[in-house]
Amino acid sequence: MENSTQTPNEPSPVIGYVTGGGLEANLQVRLTVPPQEVQEGAFVVIDSNNWRFYGLVTDLQLTAIDEHYANQLNSQRFAPHLANYLNSQTLYTNLAVMPVLMNEKGPELDSPEYPAWRLLHTEDSDPISVKTIPNHHSPVKLADKADIADIFGEENNQNIFRVGSTREQGHPVCLNLDKFVQRSSGIFGTTGSGKSFLARIILAGLIHADNASTLIFDMHNEYGPDTTSSDTKASAPGLKGKFNNKVRLVGLGAGTSFGKLQPDFTLEIAHSDITTEDVLQLSQILNLKETTGTTLDALENEFREDWFNAFMNMKVGSMIENDEGKLEPAPDSVAFWARQAGIHSGAAEALRGKLARLFNRPYLNNSPASNGLKEIINTLQAGRHVVLSFGKYESELDYLLVTNLITRKIRDAWEKATTEFQINKIKEPRPLVVVVEEAHKLLNREMANQTIFSTIAREMRKYYVTLLIIDQRPSQIYDEVMSQLGTRISGSLGDEDDINAVLSGLPGRGGLRGMLAKLQPKEEVLMLGWGVPMPIPIRSRRYDQQFWIDIFGAERKPMDMDQASSFLGFDDDSD
Amino acid sequence: MTETHQSIPIGKLLRAENSQFVAGCRVRELDTPALGALVKVRLEDQSEIYGLITKILINDDSLVRQLVSGVSIPTEYTADNRYNRNLPVEIHVLTVGFAKDGKISHRLPPRPPLSLDELHLCDEAEVRRFTAFGDQAYIRHILRLVDQPVEELLAAHLRQTKPLHEQTGDTGWYAQLCQKLITLLRDDYPRLTTVLDVLTELEHE
Repeated sequence: MENSTQTPNEPSPVIGYVTGGGLEANLQVRLTVPPQEVQEGAFVVIDSNNWRFYGLVTDLQLTAIDEHYANQLNSQRFAPHLANYLNSQTLYTNLAVMPVLMNEKGPELDSPEYPAWRLLHTEDSDPISVKTIPNHHSPVKLADKADIADIFGEENNQNIFRVGSTREQGHPVCLNLDKFVQRSSGIFGTTGSGKSFLARIILAGLIHADNASTLIFDMHNEYGPDTTSSDTKASAPGLKGKFNNKVRLVGLGAGTSFGKLQPDFTLEIAHSDITTEDVLQLSQILNLKETTGTTLDALENEFREDWFNAFMNMKVGSMIENDEGKLEPAPDSVAFWARQAGIHSGAAEALRGKLARLFNRPYLNNSPASNGLKEIINTLQAGRHVVLSFGKYESELDYLLVTNLITRKIRDAWEKATTEFQINKIKEPRPLVVVVEEAHKLLNREMANQTIFSTIAREMRKYYVTLLIIDQRPSQIYDEVMSQLGTRISGSLGDEDDINAVLSGLPGRGGLRGMLAKLQPKEEVLMLGWGVPMPIPIRSRRYDQQFWIDIFGAERKPMDMDQASSFLGFDDDSD
Repeated sequence: MTETHQSIPIGKLLRAENSQFVAGCRVRELDTPALGALVKVRLEDQSEIYGLITKILINDDSLVRQLVSGVSIPTEYTADNRYNRNLPVEIHVLTVGFAKDGKISHRLPPRPPLSLDELHLCDEAEVRRFTAFGDQAYIRHILRLVDQPVEELLAAHLRQTKPLHEQTGDTGWYAQLCQKLITLLRDDYPRLTTVLDVLTELEHE
């Protein structure tokens, strides 16, 4: 975890010098300190003439000026001090440094060239992607606190939010939350890698910065109510408890509760809110046939938005005797409607049978007490945050149906708001981040084309809506969605396919792959992608009491009776 | 550099070039010069040329050959031939630097010494001063030698010089010299390891 003692902001010493390499093949750096002082993934700076280069250590290699020196144990053959001298001159470590960014720093402030340079460069430049390389023998240093702040920003407890610290020296590393929400992003890691705590940290940051609304589909009731860590058994505060006014806790279905905590409102979905599109998106899980589309179209044509209720009320196999004494489908039967509508009755009855799983969902209601869907949209548009807890409805069907349905509504609302804004320029839509857990269920290769989420990942950033997907199997997520992810924050991943998936579409994958594979199983994460200036492995921040003190400032303790009396002016001493 | 002005010469120059010279001495004078010792020749302009003894050569002559091939040689013949022969013992010296107007340089002198110039052994203070000068660059002249047992020469030189520095508390001189040797020889693995073997042996003595 993060070092509690921060290193003072002093310039880092030189750890080596550039001996070769290039943009394609990484820079070679001869290390002048013991290799244990540098770790793979270390963030280094290289000053060369007026430029400062920023890079990442992707490999450390033991080497010798002649392999004979490495192959024999010098200390056994020669006197100890001679062996030491020999080893120090002939054996060394090479760093492979992937140069990522560069910035024109100009001459030293006190140099005679500085005033002339300053006249030509009136403003400090921002780092740009690396386009050239430093000179031979340029000194290499570990980045100090100021270097890291130059690249990742200086923590302001608002939009520049600290997510962790560098592994070697514990310098804070921040994430620009404004940029983070501009594109879809992902948090990955195997079970137990601290993924959901990291997600909580980032969500807390987003809610605290309050520049975007968040809608959290909380499948396992982890984010809203307080929970207990499965590993440490420590209590982990939920977002509702900490951001009471900003976060609305919504329970799916009437009567959902989370221990002592009651939801702000419950979500019951009116039958009329369910479209045939919503059902089609469940094709896989309900095992719907190809004929389903035709039947659903016919239902919609005939009953309009009341189709779900009407279909639910039809009976299967209900027969009556006609005038001629023969049995035929009763008027309230599926077969009767199918015959009238020109649909194959067998197909319609089969669909009715398969939809029975939906009809008996308690949170689907013909006339719900309140319009929970609309309230969610209103809450989000008003700038608040919603945690939708699924309570006892933990099946995949519930998750797919509800997330799809809500997200479709959101898409409609935000598209409308954006169009209005483009026309009248009055109110810019509030950015929205839809947080999806177990994202592979919604975004796998088969489902991605059916669910709304792949559309959001691909296109909705124009409409101010992005996804934050949290998953342990990124390889299960559709490649096209993965490649759209702007910021990726990944904890330890065991599977090679998962590692490749996280790195898909990014430059310098070779070096990053090793880094990702060697992350500590807990606490260490690699931040990379469009939303961060350069990839960097960090020790993640801890989700503990200190975190909340950092966010909110020191807690105010409630006053005891004496203090309260004194505060109110009822001091005993006054008479 | 006047301390040794009055020291007794150990030989006189036979022949010379910039990088090396040869002095001759009588066999009876041979007990002082030793392999690896620092010697010097004072020139007419008072500058001094420094060198290390790299080889001490005893040449044969026809009389020796006859004696060697004889069946038995009376002891007085042997002694007479050794000590009264007209052929000098040759002391080969590798030039390692010079001093002019009291300033030491580890480069080669502009001109070699002349024949019959006197060869002197340097005293301890002078050895310390010359070998500790600058960054011990004189050692490169030794490594330049070919067809000679460089390692042995180094060992002989260091066996004499190391204690002189240590007597004055300067242990850094030897450490620095070892590092210098490694720097100069690290691209020649077989030679460097032989040198280090010799140094290790020397330290174990």
